[in-house]
Amino acid sequence: MNLLRKLWNNLHLFMALPAILLFGLFFIYPLAQGIGISLTDSNGMSAPRFVGLQNFIDFFHDARAKKDVYNTVFFAIGSAPLLNLFGFLYALILDRPFKGKGFVRAVVYLPAVISPLIMGYVWYFILQPDRGFLYHLLQSLHLGTGGSDWLGNAHSALIVLVFINVWQFVGMTMIIYLAGLQSIPKELYEAGEIDGAGYIKSLWYITIPMVVQSIKINVVTNIIGSLSVFEVIIALTDGGPGYSTESLSIYILRMLYGSFTGYSTAVAMILFVMIIIPVFIFMRYINKKEFEM
Amino acid sequence: MKNTRTLGKYALVAGMSLLSLIPFYILLYLALNKPSRTLFNGLSLLPDFNFSNFSEAWESSRMGLATVNSLIITIGGAILIILAASSAGYAIVRYSNKFHQSVFNLLLICMMIPAIIITVPLYTLMKSIGGINTHWAMILLMASNGIPFSVFLYAGFIKVLPREIEESAIIDGCTPFTAFWRVTFHFLRPVTAAVVILQGLAIWNNYGQAVFFLQGQDMRTIPLAVSMFFQQYGAQWNLMAAAAVIGLAPAVVAFLVFQKYFVKGITAGAVKG
Repeated sequence: MNLLRKLWNNLHLFMALPAILLFGLFFIYPLAQGIGISLTDSNGMSAPRFVGLQNFIDFFHDARAKKDVYNTVFFAIGSAPLLNLFGFLYALILDRPFKGKGFVRAVVYLPAVISPLIMGYVWYFILQPDRGFLYHLLQSLHLGTGGSDWLGNAHSALIVLVFINVWQFVGMTMIIYLAGLQSIPKELYEAGEIDGAGYIKSLWYITIPMVVQSIKINVVTNIIGSLSVFEVIIALTDGGPGYSTESLSIYILRMLYGSFTGYSTAVAMILFVMIIIPVFIFMRYINKKEFEM
Repeated sequence: MKNTRTLGKYALVAGMSLLSLIPFYILLYLALNKPSRTLFNGLSLLPDFNFSNFSEAWESSRMGLATVNSLIITIGGAILIILAASSAGYAIVRYSNKFHQSVFNLLLICMMIPAIIITVPLYTLMKSIGGINTHWAMILLMASNGIPFSVFLYAGFIKVLPREIEESAIIDGCTPFTAFWRVTFHFLRPVTAAVVILQGLAIWNNYGQAVFFLQGQDMRTIPLAVSMFFQQYGAQWNLMAAAAVIGLAPAVVAFLVFQKYFVKGITAGAVKG
């Protein structure tokens, strides 16, 4: 009885347990297992054999994997900077008071709340050759529709995918930058004005250093999101033509269906490393920068 | 001078709004056209207002059932996240020790790992607990996905909350546990709103895991139902568009209703510091 009372009085020490158990079972445990599986030739059916680093060696000789790494990195290098640039510009424009400010913010943010898969289908209707909206528009305006198979060629398809991703999530980065802008005390700008700083100078010396927190959140989430992209690609090109617009995430999923579970898990681990490295480099750089200020 | 500037500014924000809205307009336009109508006869911008597409798409995509599935999983997952993440945040901040610190650091690292990476071993786990094609296992999985970020938000908020609010309750005879649920939890409302919105949307839009663990016809969520429908009706654009409209409508409506909390929620805790 006394023990029970003691437990009741100290229950707060166990309050993190539900979260730990849940996350441990559905994330940490599979992750640890995954590291093991990536060292085997598992196919989900017969007993797996230990093959050491063979899967990782195979990866570097896999032409399709090379192409997917290129596509994934291209998509990320296109998306993350553009999202931050436009998100920041949008935030600067919508930070100033004017009539209808709330409406414009909401409209710009709207696409970000919808599933990227469904949004991808919407753009599919716009971009299809011969039937799509853009094709019809070009036709009606007699602008020529010669090179209108934007999704049929790998390089232009990748550019289109970057554009759609930036279009959909620019509102998300904008909102985070807006929050940062609104936390800057007005006195700073007044002081800057007295010292004779113009718009550009105060932007560079006051605004940007003051929104470092927003920059961190946006850059990290954009790196993670763009390197693990798959939904919008599935909706628009399904990785095609061939596998020319396939991302690493799609490759990982497809190999699961093909029961190359060992190899697929190894590729997943490689993707994880591909995400961690740029995040780590960026965080070190930005924290050093902050220190100097 | 001032007038041209204001005009220029309005032209700019009108352009921004249009850029975000035009794809939605095109989708609605398609969804309301008769099957016989080609996309654009000339430059007529008004559709046929043929609402039967919606009922047909609703029936054949079994969107009603998918909506119920999506609701069950989203509501269940969100409730579980709130209970687990808020109490974990409280324990980690208020009763900080080496163990709680390392749990928190581990969660921070895990925020960078996309869920897709653990699909294979997760499938084995789901099979062994009999969780494939069940609501309860999907709820647990979705809640687990949301834990790191939600704990981070709650912990950040509790850090700046004065200790006095629980302390007076503890003096009045509460244990730290009951003080949390009776007092502190109510002060966490802004974060709870943020967590519900952010995680609710993430669960609602989840495709990468639903496609693996909810393969049964009767278990499909909205994104799965829309993608299956697209694979079946690949040529009938007006039906496909109607299905897409039905699929994205709930998120749009929820966003418009809770817009205020959305913006507040996203910025709560995240941009402080």
